[in-house]
Amino acid sequence: MTIFSAAAAYALPPNLPKTAPFDFRPPQGERITLENGMIVYLMKDNTMPVVHLTAIIRTGKINDPVEKIGLGELTASLLKDGGTLKYKPEDIDKTLEYLAASVETSMGVEEARADMTVLKKDLDAVLDIYADVLMNPAFAEDKLKIKRDEALEMIRRRFDNPGQAATREALRAFYGAAHPYGWRTEEATIKAITTDDLKAYHANYYKPNNIIVAVAGDFGSKEELLEKLKSKFGTWPKGEVKFPAIPPVEIKEERRVFHIDKDISQAFIVMLQKGIKRHDPVEYALTVTNEILGGGSGLSSRLAAEIRSRRGLAYTTYSYSAKKPDYGYTLGYCGTKPETYSQALTEMIKQFKLIGEQPAPAEEVAMARDSIVNSFVFRFPTPFELISERAVYEYYGYKPDYLDNYVANVAKTDPAAVLDTAKRLYKPENAMIFVIGNSKKFDKPLSEFGPVTELKED
Amino acid sequence: MRFSLLLPCLMLFGQTAFAKGQLPPGATVEKDPKYPPVVSYTLKNGLKLLILEKHFVPTISFTMMFKVGNVDGQQGKTGLAHLFEHMAFKGTKTINSKGYAKEKAALAKVEEIARKLIAEESAAKPDAAKVEALRKAMAAAETEADKHIAKDEYLNLFKSLGEHGMNAMTSTDYTGYVTSLPSNRLESWMAIESDRFKNPVLREFYRERNVVMEERRMGESDPNRLMWETLVTNSFVAHPYQNPTIGWMDDLKRLTRTDAEEFYKTFYVPNNATLSVVGDVDPAEVIALAEKYFGGWQARELPPRTYTKEPPQKSERIVNVFFKAKPGLRIGFKNPGMDHPDIYPLIMASEVLSNGKTGRFYKNLVEGKQLALVAASSPSFPGNRYPSLMVVYAAPKAPHTSEELDAAIMAEIDKLKTEPPTQWELDKIINNYEAEMIKQLESNPGLGMSLAQNDRIMGDWRYDWNVGEELRKVKPEDISRAAAKYLTRDNRTAVFLQEPLK
Repeated sequence: MTIFSAAAAYALPPNLPKTAPFDFRPPQGERITLENGMIVYLMKDNTMPVVHLTAIIRTGKINDPVEKIGLGELTASLLKDGGTLKYKPEDIDKTLEYLAASVETSMGVEEARADMTVLKKDLDAVLDIYADVLMNPAFAEDKLKIKRDEALEMIRRRFDNPGQAATREALRAFYGAAHPYGWRTEEATIKAITTDDLKAYHANYYKPNNIIVAVAGDFGSKEELLEKLKSKFGTWPKGEVKFPAIPPVEIKEERRVFHIDKDISQAFIVMLQKGIKRHDPVEYALTVTNEILGGGSGLSSRLAAEIRSRRGLAYTTYSYSAKKPDYGYTLGYCGTKPETYSQALTEMIKQFKLIGEQPAPAEEVAMARDSIVNSFVFRFPTPFELISERAVYEYYGYKPDYLDNYVANVAKTDPAAVLDTAKRLYKPENAMIFVIGNSKKFDKPLSEFGPVTELKED
Repeated sequence: MRFSLLLPCLMLFGQTAFAKGQLPPGATVEKDPKYPPVVSYTLKNGLKLLILEKHFVPTISFTMMFKVGNVDGQQGKTGLAHLFEHMAFKGTKTINSKGYAKEKAALAKVEEIARKLIAEESAAKPDAAKVEALRKAMAAAETEADKHIAKDEYLNLFKSLGEHGMNAMTSTDYTGYVTSLPSNRLESWMAIESDRFKNPVLREFYRERNVVMEERRMGESDPNRLMWETLVTNSFVAHPYQNPTIGWMDDLKRLTRTDAEEFYKTFYVPNNATLSVVGDVDPAEVIALAEKYFGGWQARELPPRTYTKEPPQKSERIVNVFFKAKPGLRIGFKNPGMDHPDIYPLIMASEVLSNGKTGRFYKNLVEGKQLALVAASSPSFPGNRYPSLMVVYAAPKAPHTSEELDAAIMAEIDKLKTEPPTQWELDKIINNYEAEMIKQLESNPGLGMSLAQNDRIMGDWRYDWNVGEELRKVKPEDISRAAAKYLTRDNRTAVFLQEPLK
């Protein structure tokens, strides 16, 4: 039992049972480094005859060459689909699907992944495919054409869902279309990508010393698993990885409004402010602050309470802060009918301001803290998710005891810390506002919120 | 080459023992190794409990499943099931209230004005001055009622307890309420949730109705949701599956708190519910606490659920929807219902078409002809309680059109009618089904939802496992026969999303 494992601080209505404190320490799992530099996290779990594995490869969409934005994503998507030296694409699909196994490769903003799920009995056969996919992709030309056409079609469709489009375009306007944090793929950058580009991209980043693997499941003993991994990956040589320099982020800290006119039932509003770099120690206080303002899975945040529950102006409204190597961002979101959009937006701005002006009641801060502390256990619902979390935090440069101290660090946050954090980070007067919606129905002109730049769906 | 799903299950739960507490008479433990060792118990009032122990992390996932959905609403009151679900987060006589006696009177005043306002707004020629006056009176009455509210206390209770994934979902068939908590909060859940379903107070009703209208507008802005709604509303002409679960906007404007209370009284009874509890629990303790907190919930007879049967379609329906988005396609074929033996070959037909990259749609339409960005299918939509639709959803890749893609999809389907699938295709599908059965056991909330839903809606929590047995019996020629019988032009509705005409 520890002081910071919290009992429910909220005053219970009469007749409800008292709750005991809840204390959870995530299990450690094991971490091994292979001779070629590949790091392996593992946790044995024989409750199901299944093995899960994920590899995190150090790269990401932000590493694409500017004239070939989309290269990383195309490379990742073709690792398996383009076949390998040993396996033809159709043989891979037939084998995996017959065995009900999956090998999936993908590219995120700051990480590449290669995931495998397999029934225990098929581990050897599927691991052999998985390893060849990671090490020896063949990038068949006809498969590249299909994936390239798919990427082009996705560009044509990128405004189909206006809620998603609003968030993406807002970030693009916020960081600038020329900065990797604001990039999106374009027809020209996709068309410029060749098979040789994919091969060169793979050759640079997909190296054992650039990969962290996490495995959990019914894989036999630790020694047996390591033997299997060594036999598949042991001959894969170490090598130097070249990373491009990412230019520093420049954020205009002044109110700007962007608008795309579209005749749809709701107006989608995204508000962006400068956020924090990844290892800023304010993150714990910021997590609590955001939980109060617009976070959490529930409807009890201030944004949800005021905009949704009290005034019925929205179904969806929330806020969050994203950390990045350079400055991240704080985002406020709301979907509301155009006839009342200004009321929702005004309320959102007001709430961002208020939390930095008036100390939050101690009870509200305690509740937000309890919510984070008591639900911490849900980050680890299965052994695989637990061991993956450990690997992910190493990948992003956190100290090995980050997860173990997380609860204690969150629990230190008091009303003064919330006030300081909100004061430091929330400056709604400088926020950038992005709206997709039908301006003919707006209850107030957007110009009342700041100088407006009109954009088109492009 | 086939493997058996069912043997490994033995080991999955082999360690389970009921040493902690003695199960009461009437509780049964599933002993057949084909299934997980679920403990079943039914309270005297009819509330069904399903409990499964899993101890990797100290958490519990709860699913309270009611057999009531939009299909059970009345014409003119579409969306009521879903709106009630929203209201079930607004507290009880003791939670969210500073004093219910006074609040009750204030809420009655709001309701009285609201009904007058709705009547005036619905008049053939509404009197603008009257409407305005009533709106003002309504706002004043709501402000008065607000004084008695302890805002969001219900949500805050769960937040402090450390809830995860607290949510609810309404479909045309069911309404489900889910949450997960750290495992030493079992009794808190029982205390709060029994109060929630026994004594709900539908405060802030008319604001929440506005929230639901926003939810509807959000859907109207999304071309995918628009296509699904258009498909369902055009496929069914008589059966209430035709109604969108979110409700028609015009109905939402006229729903009252009185309507929602009537709906609650009719359907929110213990004999219409299944509660599943999955995770780090002692089944005997779960049963004892359920008896303590839910035992006093009064059972009531449910109304008959016979609705107008959908007549045979006998016509092809083609609907063009104009919307600012790139083209898309939805096709619905009437299926015979989940209790009809033909459903199994039809499920297999759907899988032959769309299971994975070796499925025919992907292999021939996404690759092969390269017409499609995506093409997939599903055997039963929007519900399972009554005959429903086997659906195909697809999007073309420019310069190809939805019409070309539709023709190619129908050609794949026609081929299935004359050339039975290979044994390899069938084995692959069964292998995947069996693997899914294993993987679904990994997620506590997912498993809890599936147990509760299958029990309450399909009549047996073992339903998914039993379907696996039925699918294994399906022969290649059964699939061709089912395709020829159901996947026909005069049994289909096709919705084309088109860019607006210039």
